[in-house]
Amino acid sequence: MADDLLIPDDDECTVALEELLAASGLGHQEVSELIQFGVFHLADHAPVWTFHSRTVILARRAARLRDDFGLNVSGMALALTYLERIEALEGRLRELESQLPH
Amino acid sequence: MKFKDYYASLEVERDASDEEIKKAYRKLARKYHPDVAKEEGAEEKFKEISEAYQTLSDAEKRKAYDDLGRHRPGEDFNPSPEWETRFWRDGGPQQVDLADLFEQMGFSATGRSRRQGADFPIRGQDVEVATELSLEQAARGTEVSFSLSVPGLGADGRVEKQSRTGRIRVPRGVVEGERLRVPGKGGEGIAGGPAGDLYLEIRLAPHPRFRAAGHDLYLELPIAPWEAALGAEIEVPSLDGPVKVSLKPGMRNGQKLRLAGKGLPHRREGAGDLYGVIQIVLPERIGEREQELYRDLAAASSFNPRHHLEGPTTDG
Repeated sequence: MADDLLIPDDDECTVALEELLAASGLGHQEVSELIQFGVFHLADHAPVWTFHSRTVILARRAARLRDDFGLNVSGMALALTYLERIEALEGRLRELESQLPH
Repeated sequence: MKFKDYYASLEVERDASDEEIKKAYRKLARKYHPDVAKEEGAEEKFKEISEAYQTLSDAEKRKAYDDLGRHRPGEDFNPSPEWETRFWRDGGPQQVDLADLFEQMGFSATGRSRRQGADFPIRGQDVEVATELSLEQAARGTEVSFSLSVPGLGADGRVEKQSRTGRIRVPRGVVEGERLRVPGKGGEGIAGGPAGDLYLEIRLAPHPRFRAAGHDLYLELPIAPWEAALGAEIEVPSLDGPVKVSLKPGMRNGQKLRLAGKGLPHRREGAGDLYGVIQIVLPERIGEREQELYRDLAAASSFNPRHHLEGPTTDG
């Protein structure tokens, strides 16, 4: 394959439900429940479900956790919430470390 | 080809029950899963245990693996001639590893069963590549080259590792740990299935001056005691050149000077901030004249920096 220049998804670009399911390996029911748990958010109020493209990253992680640990939907929701919180805390830690003298 | 001891990878005996294998896998997965563990080598270790688990958790695959016999890890071994004719092409077995071998036998490494000759469409594999950018590259946006190997179908319809190279456009405003998704540029689909996606993980290289926290940048900003006391006009470096800043009199150590919009740009508009963290520093050596001035200052000043440390503490 030639070295063509690949263009990644835009951060504001959205994906349809079918694409989210195909890209992540999650099922329709699981996605629907993860929305109810408040872990996934719909991109807008369009009649068909669309998601921000970053939801794909989150959904893939959810599917990995499901497959590798045998988690059910509430387990996935809990793990994703904790991981998000850890990342926020790590960000905060980096911020504080940045303010310390070298 | 090199022998891998899957039982040793999962730290179980060869006669372990399915339940024991599952338990051992879960325990190790919790320790090394890349979504959970961050220590170095965790990802490699996880690949090893999941490869082992994919095989040992499937009765058919486990039997096939056990039939290979017992070898030392890393030992070269030659499976029976029958295997050779069934699964290997002319390229020779030296180029495949066990996971590839199972793949060719129709067992998918991803856990989904992928029988040889399957005529239902299967989505191609997702692939991830990582890249390290300088802060300047992240701020401006850049292009990165990558090379990877993805499973694809050879001319004869068998699964083979195909290497690919390419370039990805990285938009400005990416931050540490961000993943960019390029839809449809992962592994090829099988039997008319769609291609998988390509993911690019962004890492930011340490910068000699600035430290990034999200879109904000931090810079250690040394100032002289008299600049701290009297205020000053100073030049502060930023990613797009030096910026003139006026210090107010009475700067304290550790105080943050905020330069709005001088951090990393956001994708669309606006940018994070640049913070100069004030460090009041003294010259390593001071001359006679300076010493004299400090003595005059000491004599003239009634400032006691340890006022709050004097006398007994209130609680005893």
